Amino acid sequence: MKLLVEQSNKDIIDADGLILALKGFSVQSEVTYTKEEIKDIIEKNPQKEIFISINKNIFNKEIEALKQELLYLDNLNIKGIFFYDLAILQLKKELNLKTDLVWNQTHMVNNYKTCNYYFNKGVKYALLSKEITLEEILEIVAKTSIISMVEVLSMPSVAFSKRRLITNYYKDLNKSSSKTLDIEEKIINQKYQLIEDENGTSFFLKSITNGTSIIKNLFDNNVPYIIMREYGINHSLFKEIVDDTKEYIKGNCQNIKYLEKYKKLGQDTNFFFKKTIYKVRKNG
Amino acid sequence: MAKIELLSPAGDLERLKVTLLYGADAVYIGGEKYSLRANATNFTLENIKQACDFAHKLNKKVYLTLNIVFHNEDMEGVEEYIQQVVMAGIDAFIVSDPFIISYIKTNFPNVEVHLSTQNSTSNYKAVEYFKNEGVKRVVLAREVQLEDMKEIIKRTGIDIEIFIHGAMCTCFSGRCALSNYVTNRDANRGGCSQVCRFAFKTTEEKDFTMASKDLNLSKYIGQIIESGIKSLKVEGRMRSLYYLATVIGTYREIIDSYYNNNLSEEKMSLLEQRLNKVANREVSSQYLMKEADHTDQYYSGRQELSNQDYLGLITGYDYQNNCIILIERNFFSPGDQTEIFTPSGETYQYTIDKIYDENMNELDVACHPEEVLKLKFQKQLPPYSMIRLISKANNKE
Repeated sequence: MKLLVEQSNKDIIDADGLILALKGFSVQSEVTYTKEEIKDIIEKNPQKEIFISINKNIFNKEIEALKQELLYLDNLNIKGIFFYDLAILQLKKELNLKTDLVWNQTHMVNNYKTCNYYFNKGVKYALLSKEITLEEILEIVAKTSIISMVEVLSMPSVAFSKRRLITNYYKDLNKSSSKTLDIEEKIINQKYQLIEDENGTSFFLKSITNGTSIIKNLFDNNVPYIIMREYGINHSLFKEIVDDTKEYIKGNCQNIKYLEKYKKLGQDTNFFFKKTIYKVRKNG
Repeated sequence: MAKIELLSPAGDLERLKVTLLYGADAVYIGGEKYSLRANATNFTLENIKQACDFAHKLNKKVYLTLNIVFHNEDMEGVEEYIQQVVMAGIDAFIVSDPFIISYIKTNFPNVEVHLSTQNSTSNYKAVEYFKNEGVKRVVLAREVQLEDMKEIIKRTGIDIEIFIHGAMCTCFSGRCALSNYVTNRDANRGGCSQVCRFAFKTTEEKDFTMASKDLNLSKYIGQIIESGIKSLKVEGRMRSLYYLATVIGTYREIIDSYYNNNLSEEKMSLLEQRLNKVANREVSSQYLMKEADHTDQYYSGRQELSNQDYLGLITGYDYQNNCIILIERNFFSPGDQTEIFTPSGETYQYTIDKIYDENMNELDVACHPEEVLKLKFQKQLPPYSMIRLISKANNKE
């Protein structure tokens, strides 16, 4: 099992691989990289698996620029591209790109049949949704040929809007705007952080999903990749978690001290053990 | 040039009949499973068959939404269900999951598949992808502007459907799990609890809100028709009969008037007023002509307005007493100016005179919703005719 990280800091840390968000074509990432920066990182870190995130909703006017970016990236030693928009899968076919793809439709990667569908379309990897249970994850892993990835540590991204919601809010208040805004739901007092950029507004749950306790289960069930994201976590703490997790995996996830140590990240296991509902009353 | 399709929602069989009678060319419905309105009444297989039979007799169509984002467990039985729905006579499935698209096109190649807006498809390359998968029509993301729609049509030649009226999401469809996190209800499986309409605390003096105003593209119908778009979709499978009759009837009139070259400014103004009377939120054109901005959303927690213009549903005629029979919906009294409207588009200006109960006892006012009442009227009206308030007697309101 390999550990991929998405950093909020350009000081590269020692994980098996990195997820780098492409500037102008990615959302819900704190730090983005130009293609030249990506090339530089690849050259300086030849032992690392480098994945690129191109996860914004694409509009017509961006297609030509997207093509150029994909063609450039295809000449680099990139392990895979995380994609949201199906334009990328179409362009891979049209441009005959050799770079592998990671199906990354944030909240939609929820079942094994659709994973198999994408695998048969030439998509090599899938980042499973954060809103499904561990049981569902393991069923997907068991029943697909696609290489599955599971996000185990992050301040999860929960929504994305094309609207400039922070700008609008401050405009109504007649105050100068800000790039981020913390909001709190009033009934269960759950906190969210909003970040706005030129693509729109990203929503993050302001609580760390701590999946360190399920890593062993994922390891035992042959999950090939786990992902940790730095956003919302202190940089030195994040480095420490990554180092410890690598050691934990190297020791076949037997070190109980690791589990004890990272209880300090909190007990929020997101949807790993909690099933969502969708029908709130019976038809009458 | 083929006339553009007016596509209506319907939460049950009665709404389906009403919207088709009021001028919809096609209706989209949800089955008991796999639809993004899990808490609507929704259609049994028998209902779907009845719906298709009713629509096909009118030379109209029925589409079934199968647009949840499937989990493993949802896949159980879906193939058999699709087969049953095909047997019931459905004209198209509205789908977001590409595995389901592939399954339908492989096994039922003659049945149309429409790509749901849940996929938030926003560019011509993504449209090409789905066209190659056998999709006949794409419901574009609500974030796409008219100029981009034209380019997509020009480059792909695919049938494009867009939303023209109704509630809007704040976020990209399919890219919002706020409902999952705040209420544990799965937005992408029909459980959306509309968290984007909640008010949130911040450190500022005023709450943060992000609720979108509703969409209303009535004044752009001409431009939309000229753009080559194939279908105009109204949102709202859970809306009332009155709302659907008014909205569908009004858009029918706008579309027909445009094609007949008699959509005058005066007429358009009257039709817009009619739409505004059933609106329960403020409206805007959202992304159609520009990026949505600060004018397209709310800055307060409460957005819904109550609407009490719907006075009654006409259910029959009393020949002995020359009265229409109606079921009361909202308060009215003698002297109120009303309009009676029918599915075929006829309207009658009518001043309330005497109000009778079902035994012809005269009443002072109509003040018991669901009560059967009678009003003097010179002729019988078709089923599903309705009566709406224009103004209260002596301008009481």
